[in-house]
Amino acid sequence: MTRLAFDLHAAGVLAPGLMSLADLCAVSSGQRAHEPQPVQVPSPAMLPAQERRRASSAVRLVLACIEQALRGWPLPPEMLHSVFATDEGTGEVCQQMLAALATTRQVSPLLFSNSVLNAPSGYFSIAWRNRKPSTVVSLGLDAFASGLLCAVADARASGAPTLLVCYDPPMQAPLVELLPVHEGIATAWIISAAALDAPVPVLASFELQVEAGSGSASGSGASGLPAWMPQAWEACASARGLAALGLLGQGADAQARLPSGGCTVALRRTSPRPL
Amino acid sequence: MLGILATTIVHPAGHGVQDLWAAASSSRTALVPNALAWCDLPCWVGEVPGVADAVLPAPLRAWDCRNHRLAWLALQDPPFRAAVARAVGRHGAHRVGLVLGTSTSGIASTEVAYKARQESGEWPADFDYRKMHAVESVCRFSAQVLGLQGPMTTISTACSSSAKVFLTAQRWIDAGLVDAVIVGGVDSLCLSTLHGFDSLQLLSGEACRPFDANRNGISIGEAGGFMLLGSEPAAVMFAGGGESSDAWHMSTPHPEGEGAQAAMRAALAASSSLEPREVGYVNAHGTATPANDSSEAAALRAVFGPRGVPVSSTKGITGHTLGAAGIVEAIFTALSLERQALPPNVGCASPDAALGVAVVTSLQPTALRHAMTNSFGFGGSNCSLVFSVAQ
Repeated sequence: MTRLAFDLHAAGVLAPGLMSLADLCAVSSGQRAHEPQPVQVPSPAMLPAQERRRASSAVRLVLACIEQALRGWPLPPEMLHSVFATDEGTGEVCQQMLAALATTRQVSPLLFSNSVLNAPSGYFSIAWRNRKPSTVVSLGLDAFASGLLCAVADARASGAPTLLVCYDPPMQAPLVELLPVHEGIATAWIISAAALDAPVPVLASFELQVEAGSGSASGSGASGLPAWMPQAWEACASARGLAALGLLGQGADAQARLPSGGCTVALRRTSPRPL
Repeated sequence: MLGILATTIVHPAGHGVQDLWAAASSSRTALVPNALAWCDLPCWVGEVPGVADAVLPAPLRAWDCRNHRLAWLALQDPPFRAAVARAVGRHGAHRVGLVLGTSTSGIASTEVAYKARQESGEWPADFDYRKMHAVESVCRFSAQVLGLQGPMTTISTACSSSAKVFLTAQRWIDAGLVDAVIVGGVDSLCLSTLHGFDSLQLLSGEACRPFDANRNGISIGEAGGFMLLGSEPAAVMFAGGGESSDAWHMSTPHPEGEGAQAAMRAALAASSSLEPREVGYVNAHGTATPANDSSEAAALRAVFGPRGVPVSSTKGITGHTLGAAGIVEAIFTALSLERQALPPNVGCASPDAALGVAVVTSLQPTALRHAMTNSFGFGGSNCSLVFSVAQ
């Protein structure tokens, strides 16, 4: 089986009660209990004023999480390739589109432009003047594993550092009855799979392997998610990304097994690669 | 460099590549005045024949939606299924990847269910969002039909979705994750895109006319197409692709097509560093909106220079199939290499001289080794692909 090595350089975390990677590591390692608090998403100051007004809540969630990751990334954000992974990532926009179509059928042009799944990717490129390739993928609740596979494959093929963002914007009634995502969750990873031109700190090194058959997600709970996570997060693809990031609070050789379609993405911490 | 081992498609001009090429050969549009029972917009549409009456077999009935009917119809092609079965037999079901593009997936089902929910307070009992609408569903459904158990993902980057699938496939094979990949795209007519493009005043009241001096907007079509790609040689090869982001505007292209230029140049570089003069044909994105065609033409002039390159948009035949446009036009481009002829830009009666593009206006036999196709989407997502005849 092919093993793909990559380094994690920086990460962002936004979830109820978790406003940073440090929060996540403290909770996932048991240093403190998880205390859910509503996520306060700041205004996307990195966008031009006109685009800022247009940004949906999904876009705001994603950009805030990326900005957090970029605080730990010393090189220009313009150089990052990117992969955005989500289950149903348009959130309130899809809801508003459906409501308009069910009544007057008068859809606003802004709503339609924001309804594409790659809206956060588009706003990201505008915000940071990033013209590099950007892919947006979905595989339902397996979206994080699928996105990670795409991000590592891209980083390996291009040699470029790659941003992976996995996110679930909150859904509104009545769509929330079908997709019970009540609060936004997002995680952003900046990874590389080849030597970079400049030395960049490494948070952790990993090895990824695709295995036949869909195993259960890692962790101790019956859901496959770590026991400290609220049960409601089972409905969020990005919670699995947070669980994988929780490997940072564990020892070397810590593993996560992430179902991805018909197979499993096995993620294992390794010793850092020599620079 | 990947071999195209098998192809299947359903499109507004019929089922299969023969029907697609026949429409091109006779310069025939498959667009018709909108007569959809559920949409009264005064536009033209490209509807796949038989989709309304298609019936999924009982074990797959829970997946029934317009998008999956298109996928199902396309996947009925016996030579394609035989080629997939050979690949699965040779490599194993877990070593054949699946990368599909869609823009709106099965949202047409949710449009109906949502209205029912608003009126009755209940979701229809037979409505299953996860199977009928979720972005992942086209992948899960197709994997089930084809018996695949390897890595899979759905790419959704608006109108570049099913072009970008080729680059992901290449990376997965190069990384040793899989030995073969089925790529494709499926997008279906729905209220969301029809009314959405209408709100932007981008829907034409006639069959779309890409690169015409009097072009006035898009016509929306639907399609489902798949290709099996592998490392082994084939008559037509996927030579390489390039991607870029505009970093400009969510729904308006850069006036000089800077992102499009970057994608085309990256595609040439990825295709054994081809020179622009070695490319004999470009299947343009060519949506037929004034701004899009102007932007793409500027990019083509910048990349191909004064020498130019023969260009056609085949959206005058199929309409703009949005998330499926990448695969539809990849198939047109591969067919142009296989048949050694350039498909015409149907609907362009008076090429816009201001664009400076050499528009192919009738089927043009030619000696062709390399051809490119462009796909650009909302959010400034650009992708160009190069296909080549085998050496």
